Amino acid sequence: MMSLPMLHNALLVGAMLFSLGLVGILTRRNLIVMFLCAELMLQGVSVSLVAWSRYHGDWGGQVLVIFVLTVAACEAAVALVFVLQAFARTGRLDAAAWQTLREATLPRVMDSKLPADDTLAPSWPTLSPAGVLPPGDPQESLQREHV
Amino acid sequence: MNSVSDLGSIVSRSLHDTLALSLPLFRPELCLAVTVVLLLLCRMLPVLKMLDSAWVALGGAAFALFYAWSDLRGLPGWLGGDALASRQEIFTGLLVFDSLTAYIRLLLMAFLVLYIPFTKVSGIPDREDGADFYTLVLGATLGMCLMASANHLLMVFMAVEMASVPSYALAGLLKGRRASSEAAIKYAVYGAGASGIMLYGMSLLAGLLGSCHLPTMARQLAGLAGAIPAGNLGGVEMVLVLGGLMLAVGLAFKLSAVPFHFWCPDVFEGAAAEVGGFLSVASKTAAVALLLRIAFGLGMPVAVLPGADSSSALAGQAAALQGALLGDARHFMVATIGLMAALTCTLGNLAAYGQNNMKRLLAYSTIAHAGYLLMGVAAAVALSGSHPASARTAVSAVAFYLATYLFMNLGAFAIVAFLRNALRSEEIASYAGLIRTSPGIVVATGVVLVSLIGLPPLAGFWSKFLIFSALVEAISLSAERPLMLVLLVVGGLNTVFSLYYYLRVLKVMTFDPLPADRPGEALSLVSFPGAIVTALAVPVVMLGIFWSGLYACAQLAGAFAS
Repeated sequence: MMSLPMLHNALLVGAMLFSLGLVGILTRRNLIVMFLCAELMLQGVSVSLVAWSRYHGDWGGQVLVIFVLTVAACEAAVALVFVLQAFARTGRLDAAAWQTLREATLPRVMDSKLPADDTLAPSWPTLSPAGVLPPGDPQESLQREHV
Repeated sequence: MNSVSDLGSIVSRSLHDTLALSLPLFRPELCLAVTVVLLLLCRMLPVLKMLDSAWVALGGAAFALFYAWSDLRGLPGWLGGDALASRQEIFTGLLVFDSLTAYIRLLLMAFLVLYIPFTKVSGIPDREDGADFYTLVLGATLGMCLMASANHLLMVFMAVEMASVPSYALAGLLKGRRASSEAAIKYAVYGAGASGIMLYGMSLLAGLLGSCHLPTMARQLAGLAGAIPAGNLGGVEMVLVLGGLMLAVGLAFKLSAVPFHFWCPDVFEGAAAEVGGFLSVASKTAAVALLLRIAFGLGMPVAVLPGADSSSALAGQAAALQGALLGDARHFMVATIGLMAALTCTLGNLAAYGQNNMKRLLAYSTIAHAGYLLMGVAAAVALSGSHPASARTAVSAVAFYLATYLFMNLGAFAIVAFLRNALRSEEIASYAGLIRTSPGIVVATGVVLVSLIGLPPLAGFWSKFLIFSALVEAISLSAERPLMLVLLVVGGLNTVFSLYYYLRVLKVMTFDPLPADRPGEALSLVSFPGAIVTALAVPVVMLGIFWSGLYACAQLAGAFAS
């Protein structure tokens, strides 16, 4: 069991972590940092769940936290695959590089602080690809222009 | 010594609960789980590589459909019997089996049995990717079944994630295409944020109410409302409202309801049309079921079933008393759902006007239909306090809508996928003059789109009619008269708005001149793709004429709301 002031303190920490994560995911543009912020939100939830569980004196909240951690790991694994794929494709982790899909009538968001062009070709370790090489994209010409 | 014997009794009790009570009601999900394991083995063992994974998946889905069908037939209200709620909590209260579970599960399995041949014919998961694709599809459907039967916030969270995480991977299925990667990134970032917010809402609600079990939470909520005079809850009330709204964010994300719909058009445009069909039909069905579960779970305390023990009358009275105390909670839920419904419907229909890409247009159409479904849910919750019989009718209207929506929308996405294979384009303009080369497919498109509008001879008309009649009933009977009146007007106006953009597609197909470079017939109805399209379009016509059988099933599903 936990006293009420201790519950308040723990809930405050949880709420702070959650809000930091929420603000981060809304404002950051680096894809990896965005996912870190999503994880931060889940950790904030975990802290407050454990606090409530201690306060009420039952295990329900802590069991939920174990599941949350597991699911967060799965989600991060899947999401990081996409981030890696994105980096391999554009050489950038900036979310602003991904604006092909949007309303046809809306202009794309331009950023004056973005470097005009990548001066250095990105280099990363390569693995020999598995499976059959996908054919070139016949629809590439039908897409709207890229960033 | 004592503790050891305690442990023994706990183990034997949970064994009995799992093996004797829960697993027999869990057969469709078990079929899916076994099929997923088989599909993964297909990928690993060289002997099984000869097998085409689509047939393995179809076999598993067919078994699951059979068990789901026998579960629905086994319900006490089947064939004109007394449609009493047959509520049974399984797996120590984590899940609940009742008529809604059985009905939604049947819909999802029927969807799979139609969907797997469609993807096999349209060829988007090629043989190399087939096992992965069907593993993800079946895994996500398993999560959706759990969404429909969740009775505990832990299961709500797990089920939503089980449905979402495979969907992210499905959105990125076309590995060679940049648009597909972009769709997957956007979906995953949005989904991670939405699930975090939903989870914080859950922690607030569960912490204040001291439980994650939905019926227990409803009882605690009634206790809170009864202990403190109305309007004097202060901080507690505010935190409860905040928790409820945060939970609604997660649900609205799954439903693609405004203002959390932004992912939907981008993901549908970037992902393959097959994946769009899956997200639009199966995911929506499960999300509506989950919304019904949470709204009724928190808004209406469950009475102990008659016949369970002698104190059932007392328990029923206690539940009715608690139900009266939960009026404020229901009012809050009706206001939230109703407002979201009006916004979702209007924005979906208006934004569909300017679209040139067929998949994007269907994405906005999906958003608009989520709005109509939310209207039905709002009417059901509004009626549940005072008029349970009318609330049951409203839930049946939503259930009926989901069933017709399956055929209409899967048909629309199937047509987009097959025309993409034939014309190499998904732009509406490329469908010009299709009636001169392939009239059959234009007729099928006409059937599906007119049904999506909701015009009389087709299935879509009855589903809209039932939703609107539920709203009319809510206007005359419930206390939420002004909101329901607004919803009815918004729904009617939106049906008129939607005429234009659906008919524009048909106009391009029929009146616009055929481009000179078009090679012969694009798509004949006498072919495998044609057969799939026919199999999806014919039920739309048939359900428009013989709708009473399906409506009887939907009424059975509605019985859960008593």
